[in-house]
Amino acid sequence: MQSRMVELETRNQDPQGDHGPQERNYILSLHDVLMKKSILNYNGGCVVAMKGKNCVAIACDLRFGVQAQTISTDFKRVFELGPHLYIGLPGLATDTQTVLQRLQFRIKMYEMREGRRLKPHTLMAMMQNLLYERRFGPYFVEPVIAGLDPNTKEPYICALDLIGCACEPADFVVSGTCSESLYGMCETTWQEDMEPEDLFECISQSLVNAFDRDALSGWGAVVHIIEQDKVTTRTLKCRQD
Amino acid sequence: MALESLHGVERYQHKWNEVQEEAALPEIGNFTNQYQLMMPPLPKAECQVGEYLVDETGRKMKLNYAHGTTTLGFKFKGGAVLAVDSRATSGQYIGSGNVRKIIEISPYLLGTMAGGAADCTYWNRVLAKQCRIYELRNRERISVAAASKLLANMVYQYKGYGLSMGVMVAGWDKKGAGLYYVDSDGNRMPGNVFSVGSGSLYAYGVLDSGYRWDMTDEEAYELGRRAIYHATHRDAYSGGIVRVYHIKEGGWVRISEQDSKDLHYAYAEGKTTTQ
Amino acid sequence: MAVEMAMEPDYMRDPRKHHFSPYMENGGTSIAIAGDDFVMIASDTRLTRGFNILSRNQEKVLRLTPHTMMASSGCWADVLTLSKVLQDRITMYSHEHNESMPTTAVAQMLSTMLYWRRFFPYYVANILAGLDEQGKGVVATGASVAQIQPLLDNQVAALNMKGATPPKMTKDLARQLIHDAFISAAERDINTGDGIIIHTITKEGKTEEMVKLRRD
Repeated sequence: MQSRMVELETRNQDPQGDHGPQERNYILSLHDVLMKKSILNYNGGCVVAMKGKNCVAIACDLRFGVQAQTISTDFKRVFELGPHLYIGLPGLATDTQTVLQRLQFRIKMYEMREGRRLKPHTLMAMMQNLLYERRFGPYFVEPVIAGLDPNTKEPYICALDLIGCACEPADFVVSGTCSESLYGMCETTWQEDMEPEDLFECISQSLVNAFDRDALSGWGAVVHIIEQDKVTTRTLKCRQD
Repeated sequence: MALESLHGVERYQHKWNEVQEEAALPEIGNFTNQYQLMMPPLPKAECQVGEYLVDETGRKMKLNYAHGTTTLGFKFKGGAVLAVDSRATSGQYIGSGNVRKIIEISPYLLGTMAGGAADCTYWNRVLAKQCRIYELRNRERISVAAASKLLANMVYQYKGYGLSMGVMVAGWDKKGAGLYYVDSDGNRMPGNVFSVGSGSLYAYGVLDSGYRWDMTDEEAYELGRRAIYHATHRDAYSGGIVRVYHIKEGGWVRISEQDSKDLHYAYAEGKTTTQ
Repeated sequence: MAVEMAMEPDYMRDPRKHHFSPYMENGGTSIAIAGDDFVMIASDTRLTRGFNILSRNQEKVLRLTPHTMMASSGCWADVLTLSKVLQDRITMYSHEHNESMPTTAVAQMLSTMLYWRRFFPYYVANILAGLDEQGKGVVATGASVAQIQPLLDNQVAALNMKGATPPKMTKDLARQLIHDAFISAAERDINTGDGIIIHTITKEGKTEEMVKLRRD
């Protein structure tokens, strides 16, 4: 399939490289955060992950907003947690950051204690623990995990709800403010055993066309294609409205 | 039958009435009188649509399109400029990306849409009819002041019933360019610079800093365009196509319709004008 | 104690508020695609009420004139009333003018009729498809709009496709798209499924096709 996505930047990286905590600085203004059901939609944002043939892809939009107001357009909500291991944390931005930090701490403790790399499936269990601890006052994030198993190199994707109920389908997972549109797109564009380039095209078109119908997400997108020997990260050229 | 009634025979009259009653079509009152809308069998407070729009399970049901919008209009030496976005949302879902939010009332009059799409289209259509009738009766074009007052009076009749509209009426009459703001609360005011909608604050920011009375036409178009573009960027509920209209002595002219995506990347390259 | 509570006279109890809820969501999804010399309009055949299926073969496309059709979904009671009134008005028009009502006229009339009920609306989402307004537009409406519309944006309007122009819409392509979109919607939306009826309107006349969808 010929690629039709417009890329702004492509970066290949060695998955065995340095994975120290990335430094981020965001200024969050403290609005009246009302505890209502729309809290998951307060900042906007969406994540999608897909399986391919010996590869997985995970992508997110870049908007950080406060309801209607767009504050920044370079807020990545997909994070690298290890070689071949990524997590997307769409939802309330403050919880995105908190959950990420607590997760990184637990992963480090795990890897020090066990002396081996974390498997995606183990990350899912860890995430379930972390989220269910707050069963009655949850973090408002609905995580998506994508990665390759460090031993078998088996592709793995999974989505959790905000209190840690996991779902591990064979095709794709979606999460965030435009999940309905993402379902519709993925359901028609996804095919079995896609090669990395086809997988990139599929996930990009699904994500971009889905969030173009959603007021609260968009403003740019980042796509990670995770293969055994490399991870390709691409930034897409998107509508900015 | 006619002969019977002429002779005062009313033998079948009551039957005939019954037949007529049965054959009658359900009334659509606003076909004959546009100002008359059906009132529900409810107290006035309940007439605000949306309040009781819940299904059996108590779930809120979606209605009312186009609450988010950015529209602007200003007068300057060369006439008046209107610029709008084109996004219609229901909740956070983008229902349409290419709505026409500038309504062409007559060759010399334009109206803009903000608020409920149905309210704006309907009442602007009624206004268009009234303006045409005025023209035929009086052999001259209606003034912008009069047109805007017609609209304001129409919606004032329904004050408190939950209509939602913020309209700018712009046009050219004997006094030159005219610009009025009319809303569903019954406000009506003339002015030089207006912006209406959820993105209006962002638009005002650009508009106020770049506005001068003695702009050239090109400068005015670019100012309007830029203000709308910046609003589409910052406001989640505005976006799509940026449309610019110019009103001058000969009536209105459509200046440009550009995708805000193209505008964004043109401005990002440092271009100062996009025409 | 509990008995005492129950025995309390009604004026001692808190006032109870009753909500007036005249509407019901009966689901239903419709798509229309316009080509150069045809229009295709399709809807699924499932009628629901909450988690219950009321019908598996309720068509939602109404035949208004020889070259105009309308798909309606939402509150089925309102759909029935609206379509009855609309049909009557269209018949009246054809008798008065001795010709069938043009699609644009039907559209304007429908708009006015819906606004008549501004303060007590018909809870109905409509697509009107007909022959004398040949746009390139596509619209979906009903329960699974969010699932279907982005796909149509992408495939019909070629949005986000670098260097691609919108494809020439043929009947085969339109039919395929409608089928794909409904399969996706039925996969993820409980209000959509069972079957689709696809209508094609051309100058020569109308054709109708029934396609099966998943029934669970």
